[in-house]
Amino acid sequence: MSQKNRLQSGGRIDRSKPLTFTYNGKQYEGFAGDTLASALLANGVDLIGRSFKYSRPRGIVAAGAEEPNAIMQLGATEATQVPNVRATQQELFSGLVSSATNGWPSVENDVMGLVGKIGGKMMPPGFYYKTFMYPQSMWETYETFIRKAAGLGRSPKEYDPDIYDKVNQHADVVVVGAGPAGLLAAQTAARGGARVIIADEQNEFGGSLLSSKESVDGKAAHAWVASVVKELEANENVIVLPRSTVNGYHDHNFLTIHERLTDHIADRAPNGQVRQRYHRVRAKWVVLATGAHERPLVYGNNDVPGCMVANAVSTYINRYGVVPGNELVLMTTNDNAYRTAIDWHDAGRKVQAIVDTRKNPTGALVEAARERGITVIAGSAVIDVQGSKRVTGVSVAPISEDGSKVTGSVKKLSADTVASSGGWSPVIHLSCHTGSKPVWNEEVLGFLPGKTVQKQLTAGAINGTFNTAGALEEGKKAGLEALEKLGLSAVEVAVPATTEQKESKPMALFHVPHTKPTSQAPKQFVDYQNDVTAAGIELACREGFESIEHVKRYTAMGFGTDQGKLGNINGMAVAAKVLNQSIPETGTTIFRPNYTPITFGAIAGRDCKDLFDPERYSAMHKWHLEHGAKFEDVGQWKRPWYFPKAGESMQQALDRECLATRESIGILDASTLGKIDIQGKDAREFLGRVYSNAWAKLPVGKCRYGLMLKEDGMVFDDGVTSCLAENHFLMTTTSGGAATVLNWLEFYHQTEWPELEVYFTSVTDHWATMTISGPNSRKLLEELTDADVSKDSFKFMDWKPMTVAGVPARVFRISFTGELSFEINVQANYGMHVWEKLFEHGEKYDLTPYGTETMHILRAEKGFIIAGQDTDGSVHPYDLGMGWAVSMNKPFSFIGKRGMQREDCVRAERKQMVGIKTIDPNIVLPEGAQGVFDPTAPIPMPMVGHISSSYWSACLGRSIALGFVKGGLDKMGEKVYYPLVDGRIVEAEICSPIFLDPKGERQNV
Amino acid sequence: MSEVKQEAATVSYMEQLADASIQGQSPLFHADLATVAKSGPKTGGVTFKEEALMGHITLRLNAENADQLKAAEKALGVALPTQPLTSVEKGDVSVRWISPDEWLVIVPGLKTFEVESALHNELSGHYQVVNVSGGWTIYKLSGANVLDVLKKSTIVDVHPSVFPVGKVVSTAFAKSSAIIRRSGESEFELVVRRSFADYLWLWIQDASREFGLVVEA
Repeated sequence: MSQKNRLQSGGRIDRSKPLTFTYNGKQYEGFAGDTLASALLANGVDLIGRSFKYSRPRGIVAAGAEEPNAIMQLGATEATQVPNVRATQQELFSGLVSSATNGWPSVENDVMGLVGKIGGKMMPPGFYYKTFMYPQSMWETYETFIRKAAGLGRSPKEYDPDIYDKVNQHADVVVVGAGPAGLLAAQTAARGGARVIIADEQNEFGGSLLSSKESVDGKAAHAWVASVVKELEANENVIVLPRSTVNGYHDHNFLTIHERLTDHIADRAPNGQVRQRYHRVRAKWVVLATGAHERPLVYGNNDVPGCMVANAVSTYINRYGVVPGNELVLMTTNDNAYRTAIDWHDAGRKVQAIVDTRKNPTGALVEAARERGITVIAGSAVIDVQGSKRVTGVSVAPISEDGSKVTGSVKKLSADTVASSGGWSPVIHLSCHTGSKPVWNEEVLGFLPGKTVQKQLTAGAINGTFNTAGALEEGKKAGLEALEKLGLSAVEVAVPATTEQKESKPMALFHVPHTKPTSQAPKQFVDYQNDVTAAGIELACREGFESIEHVKRYTAMGFGTDQGKLGNINGMAVAAKVLNQSIPETGTTIFRPNYTPITFGAIAGRDCKDLFDPERYSAMHKWHLEHGAKFEDVGQWKRPWYFPKAGESMQQALDRECLATRESIGILDASTLGKIDIQGKDAREFLGRVYSNAWAKLPVGKCRYGLMLKEDGMVFDDGVTSCLAENHFLMTTTSGGAATVLNWLEFYHQTEWPELEVYFTSVTDHWATMTISGPNSRKLLEELTDADVSKDSFKFMDWKPMTVAGVPARVFRISFTGELSFEINVQANYGMHVWEKLFEHGEKYDLTPYGTETMHILRAEKGFIIAGQDTDGSVHPYDLGMGWAVSMNKPFSFIGKRGMQREDCVRAERKQMVGIKTIDPNIVLPEGAQGVFDPTAPIPMPMVGHISSSYWSACLGRSIALGFVKGGLDKMGEKVYYPLVDGRIVEAEICSPIFLDPKGERQNV
Repeated sequence: MSEVKQEAATVSYMEQLADASIQGQSPLFHADLATVAKSGPKTGGVTFKEEALMGHITLRLNAENADQLKAAEKALGVALPTQPLTSVEKGDVSVRWISPDEWLVIVPGLKTFEVESALHNELSGHYQVVNVSGGWTIYKLSGANVLDVLKKSTIVDVHPSVFPVGKVVSTAFAKSSAIIRRSGESEFELVVRRSFADYLWLWIQDASREFGLVVEA
């Protein structure tokens, strides 16, 4: 068997299912049930990366989410690349392709290693800040190099072929973690009738029980787990989510869960299956049963491959049947870790010694080790290790009772593996996400969840209850408490019996002393991922960074993708020691979402590509598509922009569309205009208050243009409103402003004038609207209706109900082009029918469809504004030369009246909208160009206003523009100059914004 | 064709349907669901049907005005649901509660003007009746996985314990909106806006894909 570290039996792997995978270009074999990490260890792969700063060789340290070193790049193809995957959490599958993230150009031979080695003391904390800050212009260059060398993984350069999904969940109780505490909490809550979601990041439920030799409820622990899972799965009110990491705990008991559905099966999800699902969960109560991470001890060269966390070693042995070495030295501050040495011994490999930092360890586990003939060296510590790419030996020395100094001579032992345990840190990350500050507990020697404003319960190791019996008991209690809070009745749940051994008191030790001072001792790593050493933290403290938050930022401790799961508390202990204060005095530690990295795919879900943003279509959209329209986005609407014929440029198409409309007839799909049906006896009064002009006397059957202002007097929307009946109006708004205007009306009605009897209902989608415009438009309309649409009986600004092409319609004789125009509105289900009939009959007039661009040109020729293009929230009606649309004499005020009378609004020399004619008629000014009065003035020249609309007018054979000029309305005929970015200075004349038919004769025919 | 002339007509409304020779096109007309139904799968976890060309009428009135409630009941043949988030259904009329003073009345398309007229004839005082039939369509979703599709699409809790048959919620649906009504144990009706119909149809196809989508026409 090539898997030299694999045991012949035992573990939760399936030896009958070998899986082939690739790591750094080499093929290896593992088994179903392995993680990538356990398979690599089985194959004796010691080196899995290079460190961030010093480029030191690194090996696998842990067995779960807390792993800082084994951060892999995964992906068999370019499109399926995934960076920053923890090998300890990646299940093995056949064909898995992985490579080390760190280590450029290769893990075995690393150029950065040179820097790191020479570096040593040359790369203290703050190195990057201090070295690469100047000159600042070079920072980008430095950053590229540093990032590449640091190896943070890389994103794919091709589209992700997989599908990701989001789902909204609701639950009475969400249980986070399916170890003994979580399982019992979920079982209790579910039996009580609560809707429960239980999620665990691992492929199997069971948590600590998965690598335990204990029995629960008189059977093997995993058998008990299976029985509970079976019960939960059978309950239709329970959602069981394995391979699902609760990554974020947000305000109002909102949780985000990242479920990996196929990451364990293949590089790419098979058959179009969803690869990952992002659960957005609203929970009434949350039970955190997130367990604890074992804390490694900080000692010299503790990053040499072979140095591991004690419990991880046990996990590899018991769960995966892998013994990751031959000769073990265990260093521990507690009884619990003795299991690791016992497991190692029972697996048939040599335990050189257990080095216990306590003077006089006693207890059942200690005895069990001694019974096996294992040497226990008490009152001592491993102060450093030898080896570079693998541990070759350790230095053991007696230490003082308080762990502060070495008290005797150093003895060397040979070993290839060092397991260390400094106790356990409760996994309080999720509790921290919601802003709860963790509290140090001297008994537990760790931080526990602090006060919370969430509806949050905790159970098990997160509370510092590290034994299974206690965890089960707390799980039940949390389940019962949740039931009570939910108003559900309590249920009877028996806490299963366990077979644990009692443990004696652990010692508080984090940073192992050395014979030399920390600054001169071999590097003692605190945060592996960011290469933060105990010496670095001491230096930071000495340089004046006394707040732990500053220390973290200066040294980068906890800023890796692992968020310092292993290192933060050790780091705080080191800082506390230097500052001569306690850990709680030093500060606390805070974690932010996400708990472990999450793919962008899962966050995006299905809101991508075609579904990224809704596209809104009018009833005639298909016709536009079939007739080659180019589209423009207006809000979420897809509006035809122009309709090019084969071989036409955009300008050619626009010229043709403009001329056809002015000379014969054009047609525009205007369905996207916002339309609001307004009814009530006070509708008219209401209109008078929200529009700047007067509405009191608008007769039934008539339409009127109105400007809508914000309180500050500035124009924010415009449109035509028609009087359908005495108490009934139809308001139109801009396409993009429809929802805003309706909200505006409701807001003012509900908060300011609730006494007005008026109702508003959006009818934007109900009516299909098509505008025929041009001298032949009446002829065309006459062909399709029996109604009298003659000049005298259907006047400009009239509206009439009539039948058009067999369909009941409301026709409005209003014009945005300055031509004779009819706006035909039919129930949208008939939009396409009427549109097609118009074309059928319009062929002889060369009826020409036009889009938003031609609409813009035609209206600009008439000097009509587009709200949002010619207005920008700083323009009032008088600035626009539209004082005619303001009625200062209305009995009740109107919104914006007072605003536009403010001092600044009435001063001279405000920027006012005028027409701009270039002296050279062929130059079309760019929109946004800034005007000046004196082009010879020194730079920066005083700017006098910008061009807001600018086009080539085919009808006029010259360029036209609308723009703002200081005091422009009084400067007709004067010159203004536009210095352009290309160096040209364009000379232009200020003129009336109405370029065509100033008397409005064309629309009144 | 002319507007209905009422004595002292304070509002203007009219028959908006063309005669039967002119076929209206529902918002999903372009999707040609009949062909999709014929050629597509016959079994799956989700079934989709567009209830096209129905009559949709927005009704606004004061729910505390007993006379108006009575008048509406007389016109519709069923009392308005005044309990928030509920609906009523009687014969071919269904009424969805939308807000404290707003209801959506849905009737067969051909009856729209008749019902609209009845409401105008019965109601008095301050109210609003608007024919919005062209602006809405109805998507009927059913099947064993209908809840799974809804859970992907809306943040509202659709569990039967809090979303029983008859409940109505107007809410966000994907990146658009819908008036969601549970019409059966595993059947929901979504009233959706015309302009968003194609987007929502794409969304539902996508969300249903893993369960298998059956289209009925």
